[in-house]
Amino acid sequence: MQELRDLARKLLSDGAVGVVIGYEEGPHGVRPAFITDGADADKLIFDRRCVQNLATYLAPRRNHLGKLGKKALVVKGCDARAVAGLIRETQIKREDVVIIGVRCGGVLRSDLAIGNGGSGNGEGGIGGGGAGRPAAGAVATGAAAVALTPETVADRCAECDIREPHLADHLVGELPPAPPVSKRREELIAKIEAMTPGERWDFWQQELERCVLCHACREVCPMCFCERCVADKTVPQWLESSPTGRANFAWHLTRALHQAGRCCDCGECERACPADIPLGLLNRKLAQVVEERYEFRATDDPEIPAPVGSYKLNDTQEFIL
Amino acid sequence: MRPGVQRVMKTRSISRENLAALVADLVKGGTDVVAPARASDGKVDYRRVAKFDEITMNGGMPRRSLKEFFLPPTEALFSWKQKQADITLEPVPTTFGPAVVLGARPCDTAGVVVLDKVMGWDFRDELWFGRREATTIVSLACSGVDDSCFCRVVGLSPETEKGADLVLYPADGGFLAQPVTEKGEALISAHSARFVDAPAGDPGKATAGKEKKATAAAAAPATPGGAKSETVLPAGAKAGTAIPAGATAAPASVGTGGIGGPVDLGSVHDWLADHFEHPLWEAIAFRCHGCGACASVCPTCHCFDIVDEPEGVTEGTRRRNWDTCQEGRFTLHASGHNPRAQQNARFRQRVMHKFYIYPEKFGETLCTGCGRCVRDCPGGMDLPEIVAKIAALATKDSVRS
Repeated sequence: MQELRDLARKLLSDGAVGVVIGYEEGPHGVRPAFITDGADADKLIFDRRCVQNLATYLAPRRNHLGKLGKKALVVKGCDARAVAGLIRETQIKREDVVIIGVRCGGVLRSDLAIGNGGSGNGEGGIGGGGAGRPAAGAVATGAAAVALTPETVADRCAECDIREPHLADHLVGELPPAPPVSKRREELIAKIEAMTPGERWDFWQQELERCVLCHACREVCPMCFCERCVADKTVPQWLESSPTGRANFAWHLTRALHQAGRCCDCGECERACPADIPLGLLNRKLAQVVEERYEFRATDDPEIPAPVGSYKLNDTQEFIL
Repeated sequence: MRPGVQRVMKTRSISRENLAALVADLVKGGTDVVAPARASDGKVDYRRVAKFDEITMNGGMPRRSLKEFFLPPTEALFSWKQKQADITLEPVPTTFGPAVVLGARPCDTAGVVVLDKVMGWDFRDELWFGRREATTIVSLACSGVDDSCFCRVVGLSPETEKGADLVLYPADGGFLAQPVTEKGEALISAHSARFVDAPAGDPGKATAGKEKKATAAAAAPATPGGAKSETVLPAGAKAGTAIPAGATAAPASVGTGGIGGPVDLGSVHDWLADHFEHPLWEAIAFRCHGCGACASVCPTCHCFDIVDEPEGVTEGTRRRNWDTCQEGRFTLHASGHNPRAQQNARFRQRVMHKFYIYPEKFGETLCTGCGRCVRDCPGGMDLPEIVAKIAALATKDSVRS
């Protein structure tokens, strides 16, 4: 932790960056921090509650952050995949950002880490993040954070292959032991795959009927960087804006398909969703398909082209009618 | 709007069995019963229930507030059909079947009555008031959900009866039932076999030490500037709510949002009036994603967008859908100009509307402290923290002047 703080202080005092975007202890859990003064560098923390993907603050449409100057960003391996995605898709240049990679031993499910995503209630069901926000006082702070177990670890940590972000300019911390593996998400996907089309339709209809088309999933997504989203276009209007079953399906299919081969699997869309829709299941399934068909998985190497932006003679084509 | 609201109404009690029977009676009689209940994913939502067993009384903060039963996320305003030059408009019904909301959180009932002001202001929103008139709201005194709750910060309390027609208080084997309005009394009268008069108060057991009487002051129409008068309440005051004898008030720590207690909303209002431009706003929303999740779960955010949704070429429906000032598109002009081009300006609008503009116009704070915006914010924006910060700036300014 001290290494991280000292580095941030130095980057700021040297004038190498104008802001260090990292994590701090907020009044109700860990939250993003924007440190512009070296004197505040001691606010920075990193532990298994730091679930947020801060790469989302790099997207050019975050115009209110421009005045802070050059950014340094604290990233976990999963977050580094988003930074690589932004570079790969020419949204930022590599030299636009100083990347502080943290060696990561896995993070908690967001509902246990900071409470949100769980909407403060209930036991988990099939798609939800799990137990919901714990009762008052149960969201642990600091060293008292919930231990990582197969039940408490974030779904995405099971597939993690970047515990030391390669893309980093600076790597901090000791490499912790590998996190326990949660099979929850793979089991859910298998369960949904085993459903008949009718059952699957009913499952998603039940999940998606809670959507009010607030588009929080889009706004927090580091890879949803379009200046104008197809959902916002009115001439012509591609997607209806009224949250009905039909429009909700149209939106979520569009969002998921636009993420295929691009999603960095940071889980921010699912965490942000105030309706607790299990968007991670869609993202993960598409990532599996992309990996199977195009031998591509999200990586923090921006030089490796993504299937959506490249062509190979041996690309699978049997689905083209 | 609420004749007889000042009347002293007799406290009753109702057992759990009788409350279950009451739900069955209502449903059988064709009344919609809306209550906090588990959704398919295990979380709690307000939804229509068929029987009492589905209801989770005080069992978790419903994911969204009560407002959607009066202002649904999407709602048809009328539909049209066109046959060459002839256009026919089909209005939507503005009267609704009877409904009873049962076990609502006090912060949610308060939100509904706060919104009555804007819905009945320059234009009487027939759909809103159609549902309001058809609905009797029974709230349940709250034991708090978690430390994101901040009703006391905004001058309410876990026992506030604002917006409720009848308040239930947990008691041995059931609930004390305190009618607040004639509608609440009417619900009891129509189902009198399910209720008994509450036993005479034992002053020793009355936690709040108040006389057995509902003043309903909190439900009385606020006068302009009423937001200021709320602020003279001492810390821990019950905002005009007298708790019936035998009922237990929530501990004073519940509903303080991590900032310790009420803020002076009057000085917040006054500071905001004079500080549209202030360095605070420049740095307020770095972490805010502008996603608007806060508005979709808020009991008082009420902005909507009106859209025409065609079905083919010759017919369609005009609808209104929830909207939010936190999205850039909200203020985007056809010219391409956006007066709130950056997220800090959008978040300033959120704070201004809740704590200055609405109080100025309607005498009500546009926030009931439910804490959903705190719990659901993916960026960690914290409204009680921000309000406390503004209150501190206001104090500093008043000391200086």
